[in-house]
Amino acid sequence: MSSMLNTGARSGPNVEVHRYYSGAVVIVCFLALVFQAFLHKYGRWVELIDLPLLVTIYFGVSRRNPVSGMFLGAIIGILQDALSHGNPIGLYGIAKTLVGYLASSVGAQVDTEHPASRFILVFFLFHFHQVVLAAIERVLLNHPEPFFTVRLLLDSLGTAAFAVFFFALLDRLRRTS
Amino acid sequence: MQAIFSRRQPLRLLAGVVLAQIFLLAFQIKREHDVRLIRYWAVEAISPVERAGAWVFSRVGGFWSGYVGLHNARVENERLRGELDRLRLRNAQLETEAGEAHRLSALLDFRQVHPEAPMLAAQVIGASADPISHTLFINRGERDRVRRNMAVITPDGVVGKIVEIFPAAAQVLLINDKDSGVGALFSDTRTHGVIRGTGDIRPRMDYVVNTEKVRVGEAILTSGEDRIFPKGLLVGTVADAAQGNPFQTIHVEPAARLDRLEDVLVLLSLDELAPQKTEAGPAEVEPAAPASATAVPSKSPVTAPLNPAPKNSEPIAPSSHSGSPPAANPPAPQP
Repeated sequence: MSSMLNTGARSGPNVEVHRYYSGAVVIVCFLALVFQAFLHKYGRWVELIDLPLLVTIYFGVSRRNPVSGMFLGAIIGILQDALSHGNPIGLYGIAKTLVGYLASSVGAQVDTEHPASRFILVFFLFHFHQVVLAAIERVLLNHPEPFFTVRLLLDSLGTAAFAVFFFALLDRLRRTS
Repeated sequence: MQAIFSRRQPLRLLAGVVLAQIFLLAFQIKREHDVRLIRYWAVEAISPVERAGAWVFSRVGGFWSGYVGLHNARVENERLRGELDRLRLRNAQLETEAGEAHRLSALLDFRQVHPEAPMLAAQVIGASADPISHTLFINRGERDRVRRNMAVITPDGVVGKIVEIFPAAAQVLLINDKDSGVGALFSDTRTHGVIRGTGDIRPRMDYVVNTEKVRVGEAILTSGEDRIFPKGLLVGTVADAAQGNPFQTIHVEPAARLDRLEDVLVLLSLDELAPQKTEAGPAEVEPAAPASATAVPSKSPVTAPLNPAPKNSEPIAPSSHSGSPPAANPPAPQP
């Protein structure tokens, strides 16, 4: 998966495409899923931060390839569904597929290296992810999942703030050319 | 793979991946009644087409089946009508044959009861064209040894006598004809009289004095005095009796159904038909078919219905109460 993400990606003429150490993408994604599943039982604070979502956004934006971002989001989302309890396989998969595609598309057009842009990007993609989830649950599962609440707003702000630091940490995995 | 992952078709890929996951979801999600969503969608997607197809097929099929059914019904209707006509005709034939068999059976029984009397079965083939006279024609004639003044009877009672002979036919004068006369007597009182035709369906019994007690329903038998009808044959019953001057007016209900005769018996002799029981074998019976065969006496241990067992079997002399009635018909001895 890392080779897929590391090769064949092309971006716009003024945007830099980042490369990572071999296996870094896979390991980060795996750890994000493990932490999300493992730490979930230690407190509800874990629910505030969706690590797989942040990983999807980060690598999608960094690679700036919609196809690779889309597949990365699909794989992470399906694995997240598989590790969750009661979620049908594909619920998070669809949402993160769209998020990965959108993040890659945005990353291919604008510079997302600045913390403010990352904050805003994560904030909006968080709500986009929530809207897609709510739509799927409403349409397919007949669950009245809300599209927007104050709690979600606070969560999105917290996640976006956390993402600024988390992305900076992940930047250290980049290979310098 | 390079082509797939190229950036020319990212939206298609996105749509494909999302669609695949939607289907993946649909395979897992269950709706009401534990029905999987994919099946629910499939049914929802297919059922309108199926409904439309079913509607079209039902219309077309209904029209076609109706047309074909109507055509078949018409053909079948015609066939059934023809079959009904044939069956009606066949039914009429069978009814006729059954009636004829019944009549012939009665004649056969009668002949078996009276094996001592030679008789000839005959079929009524015509009637008189004159509405006043009561005569009919039978299919037996001179070739069958039928002669004038022979008695014609049925198992029910006396019919009349032969008045005209033809080679293959004969004319019968019925007892209710105005020219007819039969020597008769009451079965109970043995009072003699003469039964004369009136031209009506009921003949009349003459020469019974007013002092004689006549009971309605009493049987009237032939007396044998006319030398035509053997003694003891049932002629009829008293229908009504009234005082007259000088004799009673007695109407007789003929025992034989004179208006519905089809098969009759011609008695070839004047011997009295006495009931007797014999141990003879089965009788040979000549059917009433047109043939020149002669009658063959048969034997049977059956009691004759025509002879209502007169209390006194001795020859009855003219009653003292009734005087001496004239001969019913001029004696016409035949060979």
